[in-house]
Amino acid sequence: MTTPAPAAGKTYDLSFARWVRDNINGGDKLNLCMQCGACSGSCPIGVQMDYGPRKLFMMIRAGMKEEVLSANTQWNCTSCYRCVVRCPRGVPVTYILQDLAAKSAEFGYAKGPHENKNFAQSFWWSAATFGRTDERLVTMRYFFSLGLGEGFKRAMANLKVALGMVKTGRMHIGLPHMTKGRKGLKAILAKAREIEARH
Amino acid sequence: MTEKKTMTYYPGCSSQGSGKHLDESLRAVMPEVGIEMEDIEDWNCCGASIGHIGGGQLPNLALTGRNLAQARKRGTQDVITGCAACYLNTHGGNEKIKADVKKKAEVNEALAEAGMSYDGDLKVRHACEVLVNDVGVEAIEKRVTNPLKGLKVAGYVGCQTVRPFAGTEAGGDYDAYDDPTFLDDFTKACGAEAVPFKHKTSCCGGSVAVMSPDRTLHLMKAIVEEAAKQGADVISTPCPLCQTNVEMYQPLINEKFGTDYHIPVVFYSQLMAVAFGMDGEKDAALQRNTIRSEKLEGMAKKK
Repeated sequence: MTTPAPAAGKTYDLSFARWVRDNINGGDKLNLCMQCGACSGSCPIGVQMDYGPRKLFMMIRAGMKEEVLSANTQWNCTSCYRCVVRCPRGVPVTYILQDLAAKSAEFGYAKGPHENKNFAQSFWWSAATFGRTDERLVTMRYFFSLGLGEGFKRAMANLKVALGMVKTGRMHIGLPHMTKGRKGLKAILAKAREIEARH
Repeated sequence: MTEKKTMTYYPGCSSQGSGKHLDESLRAVMPEVGIEMEDIEDWNCCGASIGHIGGGQLPNLALTGRNLAQARKRGTQDVITGCAACYLNTHGGNEKIKADVKKKAEVNEALAEAGMSYDGDLKVRHACEVLVNDVGVEAIEKRVTNPLKGLKVAGYVGCQTVRPFAGTEAGGDYDAYDDPTFLDDFTKACGAEAVPFKHKTSCCGGSVAVMSPDRTLHLMKAIVEEAAKQGADVISTPCPLCQTNVEMYQPLINEKFGTDYHIPVVFYSQLMAVAFGMDGEKDAALQRNTIRSEKLEGMAKKK
């Protein structure tokens, strides 16, 4: 894999770094990064990322907006927070990656059937609709969001696991468990979205 | 443990699904060591690690705002949860609301839509931290009537129970991030043997393991492999997602790597229920594990 680099002779464009500072949760701490690599070295699946967090942060500084927002780095973060507790400069790495993932999706960089994006959307659908996560419905909605064929394939592959959960009473049959105050919850969430859009 | 305490309990969504046995065993053992738990009335999802992607940062924080507004109806007693993700979100969100005046105002503006408000005057705590700081390991040991003699336990702490808050003042400063000892202390207090386990805070893959097991099977394999190597009868964990992932994916691990692992993964609270001489089904919920431990079940009392 070749690593994208800024064009030779090009001066650093800080506009993307400034955008990250002002718009990404924890982005205001990014300027503390001294490129030591404790984050990438601590990451459980850093080797599966296009770039580890250390490199991604340098790319932000180099103004490589397209490469950063289309990277799989932020989507592979498992939220283990090892980088957060190990960063000697107190950079909230996990939080930054989590918000970069959200913004990548918002700006259309996670195109088509996208495992993480689709799973997150299925998850939120359940939380916002029922007030709770229904593991059965989130999983099925996610499987079929990847396409009808893929949905059946995954559903079949997980049949045995599901049956084991039903047998042990860890997956119930029937209506989802729900928060009674769903109407109020929906109003709260709608208002929160409206407030966020003001920013 | 000097006095009885009552706390407001946040069970979280997994308590009604994959993590039912954590909820059931916690409800059984906590009062035995002096912690009474009253549920948050009509609680909702915490948003876990991915709520902000589908919903946005502020709506995700509002989920915590609503839960804490509901919790506050029970007064200012501490909020307690056994789920790693619920703790991370609810404690983290609570601290954010406390520290950031603007966020607090925004959350309250949203809560007002349902006639609710939250001032930021609660403390959100993890059940393990409460067991260490308020109950004390000695008091747990004292309550044990049925020591789990000869049971070898690999203590698998996982990530979000300790990271990023276990070593912070607001998080109760009860243990280390990379080499925490509390889980092994619980094991020993129960009369079992804590085997050396180098993967105690390794990641199982979390929600990535749920949506895409192929990307993280090797992480779970390393955990199970090390437990087997150390001769563990069971893996003990505080985290509902770790428990489910490491348990339910063992057949897939075996398929992919040509191994033959079949190690039960239980909650520390299930071990405690058995060691407290409580009922193996009703209190320890051992029948809810898809990989059963004959050894542990043999030790459990039947009432």
